[in-house]
This record gives sequence, C-alpha cells and structure tokens, in this order.
Amino acid sequence: MDEQEQAQITQLQQQQMMLTQALKAALEGRWVGGADTVEGWLLAIDPGLTGELSPDPPSYP
Amino acid sequence: MTRPEIQQLQDQQAYLTAAVRALLEGQWCGGPPSGQAFVGALDPNLTIDCREPILESGAPPDINYPDPNESMPGQLYSWTCSACACDWLMRSYGRGFNAGDIYNSREQTVYAIGYPNNINSSYGLMDGSGSQLQRVLGDVGIQTAQGWLTFDQVYAIAAQARGGCMSGGAWYHWCGIRGVDNDTIWIANSAPGYMSVWSNLNRADFNRLGPFSCVMVTEA
Repeated sequence: MDEQEQAQITQLQQQQMMLTQALKAALEGRWVGGADTVEGWLLAIDPGLTGELSPDPPSYP
Repeated sequence: MTRPEIQQLQDQQAYLTAAVRALLEGQWCGGPPSGQAFVGALDPNLTIDCREPILESGAPPDINYPDPNESMPGQLYSWTCSACACDWLMRSYGRGFNAGDIYNSREQTVYAIGYPNNINSSYGLMDGSGSQLQRVLGDVGIQTAQGWLTFDQVYAIAAQARGGCMSGGAWYHWCGIRGVDNDTIWIANSAPGYMSVWSNLNRADFNRLGPFSCVMVTEA
C-alpha cells in the first residue's frame, strides 16, 4: 500500500467515525444546533455543506 | 490512480453522507434524494419498510393553556356578569386589558363589548349567544366556537382545559369555565351563590338553569 492509498484509507476511517457519531446523534434525537448533532457531524464530514442544509428534523412531543 | 476497492468505499461513504443529510432535511421515504433511496443504492437487495416520523414542519403547534386558577372577584353590578366572564377568560390567558386592576380591566371589557348597544344595565348582554364576547376575545387572539351544548358536551370540552364562558338561559348569568372537578364543571363565578351555584356546576344545576350557550376556546 503506497502513501496515497494510506491517506485515503485514513480519511475513510475518519468519515466512518463521523457518520457513526451522526447516526448515534440521530438515534438520541439530537439533530440540529451543536457539534454533537446530526447537522454538526455532517458539516464536519463535508464543510462544503455549510449554508446548504435545510433541516426538518423529527418532532419529539 | 485510486484502487477500485478504495473508490467503492468512497462512493459508499458518499451515499451514507447523502442518506444522513436526507434524514436531517426530512426526506425519509420514496425516491431520490431520500434516505430510503440512498440506503437502497448502497444495497439494492434491501427491502425497506420505510416509515416517516412526524417532522417539526408538520407537527401541530404548541397549545397555549390558560391559568385555571385566575381569580374571579365578585361583580359590582348586576348586569356585568358577561363582561366579568369574558374578562376572566382574557386574564386567564394573560391578555386582560389591565393586569394590575381587575375592575378597570372589566370596565374596559364592557366598552369593548359595546356599551350600551351590546351590553347595558337594563338587559345585560343583548345577544345571549355570546357573539360579542367572541368578537372581543378574537380581538386579543383568543379564537372560540359557540354552541348550545349538553352537560356531557360541555364537560368533555372543559376537560381539555382550554377555558371558555357559558350562560344558562334560566340562570340568566354568565360564568367562566376553568375546567372540571370530579363530576362537575369547575367554573369562575362572579356571583358566587347566585341561584345556589358557587364554583361547581353539576348535572342537575345544568339541567335546572339551561339551556346553556357555550363559548369555548379553540385556539389562543
């Protein structure tokens, strides 16, 4: 495995970790308004989404 | 040059990110760009029994409840019971004309109802259905519905604790509706003891003093 491939693998591992955290936040009902929310983790995965998201999360009565 | 295995992982990561974004944006089921579609793209063999949650955009608005314990001092004049009931209901929602002076608030309510054409010392409230009370309540953002209701109907609505006013034809008196108390309707009565009714109206009272026109809060 060369250096570039190792870097790609490392990036994929980081993204997988953040997706896992996003799914955990979703399951725990934290969707918007902070770092440890679905929105926060998505922006961490892809900063290009900043200002592009239109959240409409589930309602928890 | 990216190895095919790594490229596949990157593509899958992109689908997962897109799926999570779709859920965040309330696009759960159906075709792209929904969470269901992106998960289906990750594994076309999946059978997804997709169920949409209630979203914040579709959730019913929060219900604004009145304070059922809002005070109801005795009325000073025999003909102002409807104004007292109307004023009580407004105050119970924090929308009285004068929060610091109930009697001034009631006086302003009399004028808002329309003295002397709609309410006066000879007859009290001219339209016994309560249409002018509904107008005044509507002007402060308290929407109501009116009906000539049975005891069971009023009891069921009063149990929702949204408040209201009502008047009995034989009672010739208006009161506020605080809620229910055991098997009685819990009322805000500006003439306690009048015709043997104090703070509770039971079924026998209701049948004795009716028919009742009820103005019930639907939205506030």
